[in-house]
Amino acid sequence: MSSADDIDHSELVATKAWDSSLFKRLFRYVRPHKPLFFASFAVLLLLFAGELLGTRIWRGAIDGPIKDAAGQADKSPYLSELYLWVGGYLALIVFTTVLRYFETATLTKTGQAIVHDLRSAVFRHIQRLDLGFFDKRPTGSLVTRVTTDIENLSEMFTSGVIVLLFDLIKVVVVLAILFTINVKLALITVATTPILIAVSLSFRGGARRAHREVRARLAKLNGYLQEVLNGIRVVQVFRREERVGQRFDEALREYFIANKKTIFLFALFFPAMSFAVYIIQGAALWAGVRAIVDVNLTYGEFVQFWLLLNMLVRPIRELGERYNILQSAFASAERVFQVLDTKPEVVSPARPRAIAAAGTSPHVVFEDVHFRYVKDTPVLKGVSFEIPPGKTVAVVGATGAGKSTLVNLLLRYYDVSSGRILLDGEDVREVDLESMRSRFGLVLQEDFLFAGTVRDNLVMEREGVTEGSLETALEAAQALDLVERMDGGLDAEVAERGSTFSTGERQLLAMARALAANPDLVILDEATAAVDSATEHKIERATARLLAGRSALVIAHRLSTIRDADEILVMARGEIRERGTHAELLAQDGLYAKLHALQFTGAA
Amino acid sequence: MAILLRFFRRFLLYKAPLLLGLLSIPLAQLADVGITLLVGNSLDRAKDATDAEWIQTVLLWMAVYAVGHCVMRFYQRWLIVVVSRRVEVDLKNELFKKLTSLPFSFHDRSRSGDVVSRLTSDVEAVRMVLGPGIMYTLGALIIVPISLAILFTIQPLLAVLMVLPMFAMGFTMKLLSGRLHRQSTAVQESIAGISHRAQENFGGIRIVKGYSREDQQARLFEVTSAENRNNQIELGNARGLTNAAIHGSFDTTFAVILAVGGIAAVDRTLPVGDLFKFIDLTLKVFWPLIAIGWILGMLPRAVASGERIEELLDEENSIQDGDLKLDVSEIEGSVAFENVSFTYERGTRPALSGISVQIAAGETLGIVGPTGSGKSTLLNLVGRLFEADSGHVLVDDHSVRDLPLDTLRGSLGYVPQDSFLFSEAYDENIRFGADGEISDEEIDRLIERVAMKDEVAEFSEGKKTLVGERGVTLSGGQRQRTCIARALARNPKILVLDDCLSAVDTETERQLLGSLQAAGHGRTVLVAAHRLTTVQRAHKILVLTAEGGVETIGTHEELRSRPGWYADTWEQQQRTESLAQSIEREVAEAANASAGRQA
Repeated sequence: MSSADDIDHSELVATKAWDSSLFKRLFRYVRPHKPLFFASFAVLLLLFAGELLGTRIWRGAIDGPIKDAAGQADKSPYLSELYLWVGGYLALIVFTTVLRYFETATLTKTGQAIVHDLRSAVFRHIQRLDLGFFDKRPTGSLVTRVTTDIENLSEMFTSGVIVLLFDLIKVVVVLAILFTINVKLALITVATTPILIAVSLSFRGGARRAHREVRARLAKLNGYLQEVLNGIRVVQVFRREERVGQRFDEALREYFIANKKTIFLFALFFPAMSFAVYIIQGAALWAGVRAIVDVNLTYGEFVQFWLLLNMLVRPIRELGERYNILQSAFASAERVFQVLDTKPEVVSPARPRAIAAAGTSPHVVFEDVHFRYVKDTPVLKGVSFEIPPGKTVAVVGATGAGKSTLVNLLLRYYDVSSGRILLDGEDVREVDLESMRSRFGLVLQEDFLFAGTVRDNLVMEREGVTEGSLETALEAAQALDLVERMDGGLDAEVAERGSTFSTGERQLLAMARALAANPDLVILDEATAAVDSATEHKIERATARLLAGRSALVIAHRLSTIRDADEILVMARGEIRERGTHAELLAQDGLYAKLHALQFTGAA
Repeated sequence: MAILLRFFRRFLLYKAPLLLGLLSIPLAQLADVGITLLVGNSLDRAKDATDAEWIQTVLLWMAVYAVGHCVMRFYQRWLIVVVSRRVEVDLKNELFKKLTSLPFSFHDRSRSGDVVSRLTSDVEAVRMVLGPGIMYTLGALIIVPISLAILFTIQPLLAVLMVLPMFAMGFTMKLLSGRLHRQSTAVQESIAGISHRAQENFGGIRIVKGYSREDQQARLFEVTSAENRNNQIELGNARGLTNAAIHGSFDTTFAVILAVGGIAAVDRTLPVGDLFKFIDLTLKVFWPLIAIGWILGMLPRAVASGERIEELLDEENSIQDGDLKLDVSEIEGSVAFENVSFTYERGTRPALSGISVQIAAGETLGIVGPTGSGKSTLLNLVGRLFEADSGHVLVDDHSVRDLPLDTLRGSLGYVPQDSFLFSEAYDENIRFGADGEISDEEIDRLIERVAMKDEVAEFSEGKKTLVGERGVTLSGGQRQRTCIARALARNPKILVLDDCLSAVDTETERQLLGSLQAAGHGRTVLVAAHRLTTVQRAHKILVLTAEGGVETIGTHEELRSRPGWYADTWEQQQRTESLAQSIEREVAEAANASAGRQA
């Protein structure tokens, strides 16, 4: 496997380290936090001024009392002058030490305030996108938009953009000050500094690639480890311990080789930087000593020069790293803005048409509905039916017949390709999404519970869910036992994705959730997973209660739940093949009747 | 600490690079100190000099030191850190070997996330302290005393006084390292929280949208995100404090030099060149001192990690090889359970109690019963994934404990309930089962036998297609059939099928059972099943009770006519055969019929 295959391609989106249009857009998120942003700038500025002043104090003390005391018998006036310098220096230390605290603290605060806003905005936006958008992308890559990408941007705000800008200012200002001390020394420094910058920048690309490869190899290694642990039973029963050991060792070697490359680069980088610094120092010593001999340079000036030189090295050494931070931040920004630029198509109309208020069972009509998820693959081919107020329509059919698509369209997860769906006479595309959906109660395949308490999951902060309605809903859904058995009852914690509950239990809770807000229209897309017969029986009873007196669309796999439906649609390949009540369909002696017979005489 | 020394012994396997690397540390540091002395001396010499020609000789020496320093510095990192990575490879391999050899009961009780972190974060913590950690510590332990000793010979009082703020720095670093560690753990946790929230929301988007809960979810997300922001800010504050402490004490060292050195300089007891040496050497010990603080901060974690690693390495392997000299080829394949009971380590009641049943070589035993009745557990006892607490599990009248593991497991073809496959090429997964080499033709035959031929042909690269995320995602039924092929590749005497047909439709099941019967000819088959049609043709069917005991044993015909769990379940399963599945078959048959008419 080539190394390119192992690398996350999304990391390769942008390679630019600076993109001003992106930056302008990012700056919009800075605006609300301008005071903080400028405060960080002020702290950095003051700190820098303090550092510069420190070097000036050394020069002052050496060229002042220390120099002047030479050959003097009475040292006391010089000593008092020295104490003044020391006092000033101590005061400066107190000042810079306080600033050091605020340097990190304020930068972090600024960056975090900005990215929190951005993260919330991105999350809000993603949620509003069409289901088609979610279908096309694995959940993991969407999660990256609000995690890794945002963290990259936060890194850019805390140690990238402001600091980089400041480092550049530092380098320029320090070089300028060098000129005020001694032009010759300054010229030598300006001539040699590019070596330092060149070393720092040339190392950058290699480090980035090397790190990326190490990350990819490590992910592969750990992935394999996890896989073997998951399949340890198979490994042991088949006595393949040695084989997996060899595979692991291979992955480990690849990881080791990638590490070696990184170590080599860093082992080279640090001495190379030192060497470049020694060249500057050597040149400074050469010119400095000559100037001292010629009395063109004082000791104080030389010491200040040396200290300033020291201030130059760090910003330049970190230049490469900052560059990399900016680069990955811009790549992340691009991905984030790509998402923000995606506009949902299924949205509420600007002027929604009024529909009946909650509390009445709606009349639903599907009128010659055609639909395709992807081009050239029609899923529904002219489906028409209606659900009169308070009636139940059930749909049966094979997997892929288009049953769940009916649910998706009624909920307006997608819009129809042609034809229309009417709710109380209004096209669903012309009514307000939220007020429409809030009248529905739904139980979907693979129903989903969120982390939080059971109560949170049932209520979901919906208006119209009261303690009373919750109780009724739990009872109707046959879920009271279940809740009572739980430690903490309704306030018991639900694990991620509800993994502590069995499929059947999750379904009962989902039914209670659907009922709790007293929905006008119930949509049931029944799960296919096998549940034990006791639970099955419970679910059947719950369903009957759920549907009583409400309009309902039921996708069914079990006969008993649909026998009492007002109309049963038999679907195959995107069309309705047969329709009628249970009795009518049996009398028709068609597909349904055959299936019914099959089911009750035993399939095997 | 003793524990870290034990780990350090592993470094001694690489004596040559390690010693050379350690040796290069003092050389690099001495060269660096030498440069400071050269510059300081030159400054004093320049004062009274009339010309500057001698500076060229000084620069030459400086160049020699500089080259020496850089070369040594390259080698110290290159040699020591690479050795630490080699030790990492050794340690991880050893841990991996240990893990795969530990009995299944160990894996059953430990969470795989914990085990993975032994090999990842724990090994890394130990490596960091012993590899780069020792490099930095040794560097600091050399340059700091040498610098101080040199400065002591110049001005003893100043050298002693400047040590004080350095101690203060080390002390505050140690004080703050706990807080730093706590805060960064909190940050990591809240980042994970954000990730979970997003994962959950995007995964359950249908429910979110269906109930118009976008706003509510966004508010919840903002709370989580704000928690992360606050943690990050707290961490920033802790870092700010640490930075302030480090730089504050460092600057104080300079203040001491300015005051005490300045007084001496005014008194003319300290030449300016020597004052320069104080300044420059202090600049040079700054980073090594910080590194020591950093390593001290990591020590407690590294010790804890080391202890966890040793604990795993010392974990005892309770399942030992039996000492009967018997080869796989000598196994006939009869299996018997004699009054077998078993309780899981954390179990409150026995999973199996008093199970007795036997099946002759070449016959099929079906095992059925309600969920949780111990069907899988019983099967796991045959291959000694778990060991019976009491009673005997016999293969060919030998207790499984007396058989060498190679012989026992070599005669088993096991199909797990979870249909585990590796993310490797499809055919590699089947090859996994065979003890020796196995030809492509044989693989094709196995694929055909489990009714996967047409499906495999449709994979993008046929049987060479990768299984899993990077390749083809197999359906539950396809996985199950592939697992069967893998078990058959072993040509096993005993085939163990753990509810492995639940995800295939009835038609495929019928086909597979026929094929398995052919393949199973001459093999003993132990098959646990949820769906009773799977065991219908077994020579003997064991019905377990919900409590893990034996309800009854008999053939399908006997059990069907005997009132009890089996007869009830049979009736019910016949009735609840999925309607959707039936329609599917009906539609397919109709399509075939019309196609047949046209032809």
